[in-house]
Amino acid sequence: MTTDASAISAAAPSPNASGGPARSLRRSFRFGDAMLGLVCRGSAAIIALMLGALVLVLLTSAMPAIKQFGLGFLVSSEWRVNELERPLKDAAGQVVMEDGEIVMETIKPAFGALPVIYGTAMSSLIALAIAVPLSFGAALFLVRVAPTLRIAGPLSFLIEFLAAIPSLAYGIWGLFVLAPFLQSHVGPAIKATLENVPGLRWMFYESVTIAGTVVERPIPITGRDMLCGSLVLAIMILPIVTSVSRDVLKAVPRTQIEGTLALGATWWQSCVAMLRYGRSGLFGAVMLGLARAAGETMAITMVIGNNNQINPSPFAPAQTMASLLANEFAEASEGLHQASLLYVALVLLVMSLLFNVIARRLVVGKASPAGH
Amino acid sequence: MASARFETRRLTSDAMFGVCAACAAVIVTLLLLVSGYLVFIGAGAINLSFFTDVPTGDVAQPGGMRHAIEGTLILLALAAAIGVPLGVASGVYLSEYSHEWLFASPMRFIADVLTGVPSIVVGILGYELVVVPVSRWTSNSVSFSGYAGAAALAFIMIPIVARTTEEMLRLVPKTYREGSLALGASKAQTVLRVVLPSAFGSISTGIMLAIARVAGETAPLLFTALGSRLLTRDPSEPFPSLTLQIYTYATGPYPEQKNLAWAGILVLLAILFVVNLLIRVVASRHAATRMGKS
Repeated sequence: MTTDASAISAAAPSPNASGGPARSLRRSFRFGDAMLGLVCRGSAAIIALMLGALVLVLLTSAMPAIKQFGLGFLVSSEWRVNELERPLKDAAGQVVMEDGEIVMETIKPAFGALPVIYGTAMSSLIALAIAVPLSFGAALFLVRVAPTLRIAGPLSFLIEFLAAIPSLAYGIWGLFVLAPFLQSHVGPAIKATLENVPGLRWMFYESVTIAGTVVERPIPITGRDMLCGSLVLAIMILPIVTSVSRDVLKAVPRTQIEGTLALGATWWQSCVAMLRYGRSGLFGAVMLGLARAAGETMAITMVIGNNNQINPSPFAPAQTMASLLANEFAEASEGLHQASLLYVALVLLVMSLLFNVIARRLVVGKASPAGH
Repeated sequence: MASARFETRRLTSDAMFGVCAACAAVIVTLLLLVSGYLVFIGAGAINLSFFTDVPTGDVAQPGGMRHAIEGTLILLALAAAIGVPLGVASGVYLSEYSHEWLFASPMRFIADVLTGVPSIVVGILGYELVVVPVSRWTSNSVSFSGYAGAAALAFIMIPIVARTTEEMLRLVPKTYREGSLALGASKAQTVLRVVLPSAFGSISTGIMLAIARVAGETAPLLFTALGSRLLTRDPSEPFPSLTLQIYTYATGPYPEQKNLAWAGILVLLAILFVVNLLIRVVASRHAATRMGKS
């Protein structure tokens, strides 16, 4: 119970309430309390101001783009930074001539976020598909097996330290080690095996329109593509998903496990019961991983190839919201381009806040009481 | 029949046990592979001039990263100077004034939410909130500055420090507060002389963790500090940072600079490892003394 101290000191019977020293003491009490309250409340208010500033600044600076494109921004896949001039064509597809000169039309710059939303969603989902089963398996091992082998401590320290490695380090590893390896070994091997499988041609070929005709050409395997980005993301979120799901599983009451074992369940069946018991917390761990993957910037910028187009192939370069911001924001001219980038930033912010709120609700509700 | 079913169950269980062990093994190998590679190549690229020299401008002999190391230290000091007092004070509020729940619990929620803001968005906020207004004020074209970078880092630090401070203060037994108040101490005296000192060790651990977290950040600095190849100590100028310099070198075309990037990553990892180890040691010693006391 935190009682207000000034109330106590005021209520306390003082032998010389009218005397000098006691009164000045009490005044200094009140002054100190007031100052502490002011400083603490002020600092806490700054936290609220920070969130307010974040939303407000992004909203106002993105306003030109929001006004221009509205919500259509989210489903448009055009991203033309500069004005484009091209010959005007009539309804029949013929170039319009006037006085022997080709009439040109100007296409205004246009911006749409669909390619980066696709890139973010796709890379995060692939990363989760790889990382989540591995993390759950490892978390079960850490909770059920590692303590008996006395390796839970070192393993946990390792995983927590690896969670602290900055994304720049993963990016450099991805750029200089993983990407060349994918380019020289994995990519060609997959291509050789799957190229002639019917229905998988889209993975290795893309259709482009060159001079009016549609040409199908092979996608060059560069190693810096959606596959590499997703793999690096998967490795990056492994530590966090593992350690959170370990905490969630640790919080499963011992009686639950013992109960299933007493009913004759095998080791694995009792594990399934554990997973079921902690399912909302585990879902929270997945959401935390998703939030991390979606907001990840440096590593993904270095390995995903940075091509602002939707291509379903895992061997095509792509772009995420964060990598688009990292690549273009510094060079963006003020105006619609910058406003559109800020619109993307706003979408990214709202999305990751949403994931975080859901994750925290789920994890804190389940794991915290036993976790501490 | 029944024994056959039991046999299947047992086999499935054994198989899944193997799968779980394999998952743990795969994760540990993968992560060791990554960090081992970073350490191995970095160790081959590092030498004394990395710490003592500044960039030369000659791509074949790019010099060292002294400017970037100093820059990062200055940025961290500035960020901590802003972030630590604000973070600790809000943490004190969240813990010691939690009876004001109408204000305290939304603040706690907001602090939680803020820890999940993508760092690139923080960088953009720093640009819009510090760089652009300062440019208008001084009528410079664009005034990227160390101050803007430090502000962005502080933005990331404050919610982390606030939440860890709160958690640590909540571990201080209530009897300490009650005893202090019963002896006639004011609330301010109780908080400043009893509660905060008894959680000092764990709070400083939380602060170290927050500093370690922002030490590896690159994205918030891209549009705020911008990076620099000069040995500057004036934070009102574009400011060098280890992470920015590593990023520039790693994505650039020159092999000698890429070498430097590897060395830089090694230095960064070494710093983070030492900090993490220190935190663990301090935390366990603190836990031991706490156990002894109670």
